[in-house]
Amino acid sequence: MKPLMFVMFAITMTGGTLRAAPGGDGVFPYAAETHVLDNGLRVILIPMSGGGLMSYYSVVRTGSRDEYEAGKTGFAHFFEHMMFRGTKNYPAALYDRTVTGMGADANAYTTDDLTAYHLSFAAEDLETVIKIESDRFQYLEYAEVPFQTEAGAVYGEYRKNRTSPWEVLFEALQAAAFTKHTYGHTTMGYEADIKAMPTMYAYSKEFFNRYYRPENVVLLLVGDFKTTAALELVRKYYGGWKTGYVPPRIPVEPPQTAERRITVRYDGRTLPLLAVAYKGPRFDVSDRTMVAGTLLEDLLFGETSDIYKKLVLTEQKVQSIGADFGFNRDPGLWTVYAVVKDATDLSAVLGEIDRAVETFLAGPLPAKKLENQKKRLKYSFLMNLDTPDKVAGRLARLVAITGGVAVVDELHAAYDAVTAEDLRRAAETYLTPARRTVATLTGRD
Amino acid sequence: MTRTRFLPFPAIIAMGLLMSACDVPSSERTVLLPVTDDPTISIRVWFKTGSQCDPPGKEGLALLTATMLTEGATATRGYEEIMEALYPLAAGYGASVDKEMTVISGRVHRDNLEEYYPLFTDAILHPAFREDDFVRIKTDMRNGIEKSLRYANDEELGKAAFFDFVHAGTKYGHLDAGTISGLDAITLDDVRAFYTQWFTRDNFVLGLGGGYDNTIVRRLENDLRTLVEGRPQQPDPPAPAPIDGLEMLIVEKDCDATAISFGFPITVQRGDEDFFALALFNSWFGEHRNSSSHLYQVIREARGMNYGDYSYIEIFPNGGRRQMPPQNVARRQQLFEVWIRPVQHAHRHFALRAAMRELQRVVEDGMTQEQFDLTKRFLHKYALQYATTTSERLGMAMDSKFYGIDADYIALFRRKIAALTREQVNDAIRRHLQVANVKFAVVTSGAEAFRDALVANTPSPVVYDTPKPDDVLEEDTHISNHQLPFTTEKIRIVKVDEMFR
Repeated sequence: MKPLMFVMFAITMTGGTLRAAPGGDGVFPYAAETHVLDNGLRVILIPMSGGGLMSYYSVVRTGSRDEYEAGKTGFAHFFEHMMFRGTKNYPAALYDRTVTGMGADANAYTTDDLTAYHLSFAAEDLETVIKIESDRFQYLEYAEVPFQTEAGAVYGEYRKNRTSPWEVLFEALQAAAFTKHTYGHTTMGYEADIKAMPTMYAYSKEFFNRYYRPENVVLLLVGDFKTTAALELVRKYYGGWKTGYVPPRIPVEPPQTAERRITVRYDGRTLPLLAVAYKGPRFDVSDRTMVAGTLLEDLLFGETSDIYKKLVLTEQKVQSIGADFGFNRDPGLWTVYAVVKDATDLSAVLGEIDRAVETFLAGPLPAKKLENQKKRLKYSFLMNLDTPDKVAGRLARLVAITGGVAVVDELHAAYDAVTAEDLRRAAETYLTPARRTVATLTGRD
Repeated sequence: MTRTRFLPFPAIIAMGLLMSACDVPSSERTVLLPVTDDPTISIRVWFKTGSQCDPPGKEGLALLTATMLTEGATATRGYEEIMEALYPLAAGYGASVDKEMTVISGRVHRDNLEEYYPLFTDAILHPAFREDDFVRIKTDMRNGIEKSLRYANDEELGKAAFFDFVHAGTKYGHLDAGTISGLDAITLDDVRAFYTQWFTRDNFVLGLGGGYDNTIVRRLENDLRTLVEGRPQQPDPPAPAPIDGLEMLIVEKDCDATAISFGFPITVQRGDEDFFALALFNSWFGEHRNSSSHLYQVIREARGMNYGDYSYIEIFPNGGRRQMPPQNVARRQQLFEVWIRPVQHAHRHFALRAAMRELQRVVEDGMTQEQFDLTKRFLHKYALQYATTTSERLGMAMDSKFYGIDADYIALFRRKIAALTREQVNDAIRRHLQVANVKFAVVTSGAEAFRDALVANTPSPVVYDTPKPDDVLEEDTHISNHQLPFTTEKIRIVKVDEMFR
């Protein structure tokens, strides 16, 4: 496995290159151009018919993963809020008025590996969008008082989320699963850190200066526009953005060698929840075992899996069961979850999850199953690329992890190449008790 | 309420900026939205029934019946077999049930239409109504009320409590998912009877969008006509009881934050002249999940009290999870609704006062020219985002049929917004909005103390954790002393366990 820092450095060294990416023989149906400005800013241009609409994503390759300092969790998400606080050129009220005047749908979100700022708008407003977005990414300026006010809104968001038992469960699960790595806290951050945010004005500036740099950002423009003109505008408005990205010093998680178990109480009523979180690998499209492993999510625990039929449809012991074996920059969690109808069935359901893995390893996978899975992946992808906003949204995570979109076709080619043996090896490698944390949550009677 | 089984996200293709009405050819029974470069096909079959048709004591029957169609076996295939067949297609179908509309919708890539077609049509035409599916779905619905809504989502709980409170005693006056006792009382025979009564050949409108060809239209029309005959009598529109002053329902619950919804019935519907004027007002006052919302600016932006504050003139279910207005929740009776996302208990009185004060100010003074001009510019373009995919546009076209709008709705909406004057908007505000007769639903802890504070009009000054500008603090003194004429007898407190029984 390549050290993370090496990978990130390699990406920034491609400055100045121009190449045509998908749109050829791969599954991705649109032509994409990738450009890298001299300051390292990557720009991905994907023209498509959008009925006059465009989507503009600024993908910051920083998420809660990058919050490695004690007491400062939650800042990536907090920044998502602060980025709407304005600059000298566009104070918050003027920025809002400009976005409002365009009738743009503007929003942002934060995850473990990225923060994305996105606007959907009429293509005629492209220059205005580039102008205001480049301005706030370079010249964000906010006083301490609005900073503190926004901290209150973030705490409100945390409180809102805590009414969901899933939020309570995952907060505890992540903390138990990781002893060193920053995936140990949720995107919201620890409650104590969120409460203390109003006192960390100076740190917030440092956070911005470290991570909101051109080498760490990818622009994704999708929809009705001309690439040459758009690129010219991007160069004009972002060309002066100063470099200075400081990579986070993310601790390496030591290998997990034994199963961990936690029980979580939820201060309300809920059906009991079970989460079985295996340590997965980092995303690497050339790693056949990893790619195969992501297919196990549905093959073993999806709605046509044997365990689903048994527990949801036949015995009706669980309300739902599923899995999320996603893509992460560092080794993250591959989690199987179940909503169990009766707390006394929690260990039986865990036993069924174990049995699902054992049965899979013991017997050959019917060829038809794998074929169906591949067909589903292809059509699921194709059916969700219909609007500029959906294309950009669909690509954002892979762009954040790899820095580009070439990986899309590579990933689908890798899916096509997966064999039953790859799947077996992935299950053997990753779905072992020693790599997992088992969390159960129960509420009040 | 929508239940969808692995239906890949809503459908496809952005709309044209200048799309004309002729892009949506319609007939009495069929709505067509051809989009030739869309590789997928969207289908919606709207049955003219909904939770308003639940028989008394069997609340939840409409949703349960529709879900039995889309999440149960058919005469020829077990549910497992259906899921196996749909799986490789990455296609699915689901049921959406609101008060007046039940829509079975699906979407498939045209490469897979032939495999998909019999699955979709069998679900509607040949449901098996098996006992095991019935028990599973009914239990899920019961748990949805008893465990999730009551305890795991205070925002939706507050909104559901508000809608039930305003519509109490009418056919709108219960959740689409029903009540606990209603669900318990429903039998499989009830489901069969409801299906026979409402899912008839004379009671549906077919919608098709995307890259279909005309043979599929005729095939679907013909196949759906094999449903049983029947023209069921539609219920009269609900007539909510007049609101007498300020009435409040407090849902007492052990929780960390207070959720607040309030409002009142309005007589305006999509397509009415005043609708567009009110839509402009509402966009300024509380555009959903948009920082341009005035309420958002007052409560969240200036004071950091919560995550957002919005208002509505049409029902907007699942507001926490969606950004743009939903389709196929058309109703003959709408409400003006304010949604204050959870605030600390210590701020509940203040936040409620702030929202009511802002409403009173705009009712008395109207919108300023600057507010009007900016909102008009915003809304004229923002409306383009309301439905961008083929499936959404198709759903919207079917809603237009419900409301008797014979035009592409977004194009009409934009024309109407462009033609509005400030006077028209302010006249509409005066005609339809007020602060004297309002119903509130609040989910909170310490209900009695809150009631007493409301009745006594106790000042509710806010102590901020962080400094605030002088103008905000000055305004706070007015808000925290804003008088609201609550009386003890019009504030009812219920325990959360008693909700939706």
